[in-house]
Amino acid sequence: MTGRESLAGWSAALPAHGVGSRGDLPLPFAALVVAAGAALLISFVAIGFLWREPRLRESDGLLLPGWLARVLDSRWLRLAAQVLAVVLTLWTLFALVFGPDSALNPVPHVVYVWFWVGLAFASMLLGPVWRVINPVRMLHAGVLRLARVSPDLAVLPYRWGLWPAALGLGTFTWVELVAEENTSLGFLRLLIASFFALSLLGAAVFGRTWFDYADPFEAWSRLLGLLAPLGRRDDGRWVLRTPLHGVNTLRGQRGLVATVAVMLGGTAYDGFSANLGWATFVQSSPLPSSLLRTVTLIGFFGLVALTLWLASAVSVRLAGEPLRQSVSFVSDMAPSLIPIAGGYVIAHYWSLWVYQGQVTWQLLSDPLGIGVDWLGTAGLVPADALIQPTLVATIQAVSIVIGHLLGVLAAHERAITVLPHRAAIIGQVPLMVVMILYTVGGLTILFTP
Amino acid sequence: MRSFRPIPYAVTALVLAGSLTGVAGCASDSGSTGSSVSSATGTVKRLEVTITGTTVTPAPAQVELPVGSTLELVVTSDHDDELHAHGFDQEATLKAGVPTTLRLTAKEPGRYEVETHEPALTLLTVAVR
Repeated sequence: MTGRESLAGWSAALPAHGVGSRGDLPLPFAALVVAAGAALLISFVAIGFLWREPRLRESDGLLLPGWLARVLDSRWLRLAAQVLAVVLTLWTLFALVFGPDSALNPVPHVVYVWFWVGLAFASMLLGPVWRVINPVRMLHAGVLRLARVSPDLAVLPYRWGLWPAALGLGTFTWVELVAEENTSLGFLRLLIASFFALSLLGAAVFGRTWFDYADPFEAWSRLLGLLAPLGRRDDGRWVLRTPLHGVNTLRGQRGLVATVAVMLGGTAYDGFSANLGWATFVQSSPLPSSLLRTVTLIGFFGLVALTLWLASAVSVRLAGEPLRQSVSFVSDMAPSLIPIAGGYVIAHYWSLWVYQGQVTWQLLSDPLGIGVDWLGTAGLVPADALIQPTLVATIQAVSIVIGHLLGVLAAHERAITVLPHRAAIIGQVPLMVVMILYTVGGLTILFTP
Repeated sequence: MRSFRPIPYAVTALVLAGSLTGVAGCASDSGSTGSSVSSATGTVKRLEVTITGTTVTPAPAQVELPVGSTLELVVTSDHDDELHAHGFDQEATLKAGVPTTLRLTAKEPGRYEVETHEPALTLLTVAVR
């Protein structure tokens, strides 16, 4: 938060997107109270009663039947998904180059709804899918194959961890939530062309490792994909497992804290920026509104990173270890914020996804805005059964509480794994306090008009 | 291979079930109050908004509008502008000093913004339930 003014207007509800004009109603007060209460209860129960020895093993999970595993591993399934992704990419580029600069153009919906939000939902359901269908990765691999050189060709070794991804995700969040004209065709052409150019340049210099770490959307898909019930256990076989098992496989790495802070801070700012008190403050301020919004968005990123580090610093002191340990400890604990980020994503984007996701089909059928219906979906009337206010409020409150629960459990497992035994219980309390703040803050953002 | 450990799963399931039923109960409570409000179907609300530079009077607030009822919004601005009611798909041109009326009839539940474009100002939000 930036100061008293924004604290006074600490309230909000809907994502102010360039796409979609409908927002969610504020969360009912009763749902706020019950959800916040559940989060508190979960936290205190967790301190007292959870397991005392590490329990999550990478060999855990319910084995999938052989035929299903073979389907998931089959080249044909992957090929089909890749062909669909390429076709959608080309279709979108066609509309980007030749389509109208108006609300009829499908590109803003494809980018901000299907790609950004849809990728998050698909990853939370199926795992890191973007790795399989990333068209830029395919383009890079294709070019290398045509040139008959090794797919591992790289000029320089890569060593920045997730930092470029954090930067990229932060930039995209800014584009989505702050940039003016972010649905205009000129802006989107520049955005997409520079992303392709930058990705191909990065991959040319650092090889395909670039996609594994530096690509913001691969990171977005991979980190949220840890929450998927579908995964591979340590021997590579497909299993059904809890989101905790996925999160627990992630080890601290460079840039992870920044990436998680951007994921969590961006979604929180999205809700916050839609509140009327904030809108009134921004539009009556003598300062340029885009400057205020930019600074506040960066402030949200910083607030998450700072509170997380403070909690870690207190934890290592409580555990009686030197303060410099907090740097590695904060990285160890950062994965446990991923379920909270996932819960926020569901709460904030559910209705946008199910409603505007259908609207995207209408627009895609007429990519040039000339009144044709090439896909037969132009006349589709979006179903509203999944955005009924009671259902949406329930989904929002439940997803945030489940995110909190999983976050607390994941943090507990990490704490008893990395901290000395006697300090593990007390050592996880600071992080739990921070998680309660995030959760109650997230619920408050959804509750206030 | 490790044996299956039921305790964390049981704790998770228990807490989840508890929070789910609690929240669902509350949310449906609020749903029922929502439907009692909608007995006001067909009514017309009226709101006058004045824009002076970048100041909106009354200050931007959320207006409750039951499904089926109508908001008659009268906007007077001190400069030429465009008025846009999101979600109602209604637009109007504002002439400096001339009151302009938009009639917004609530259909789909949700929260919608009414704004101007030059400069970009949020005038109010309409909460349809």
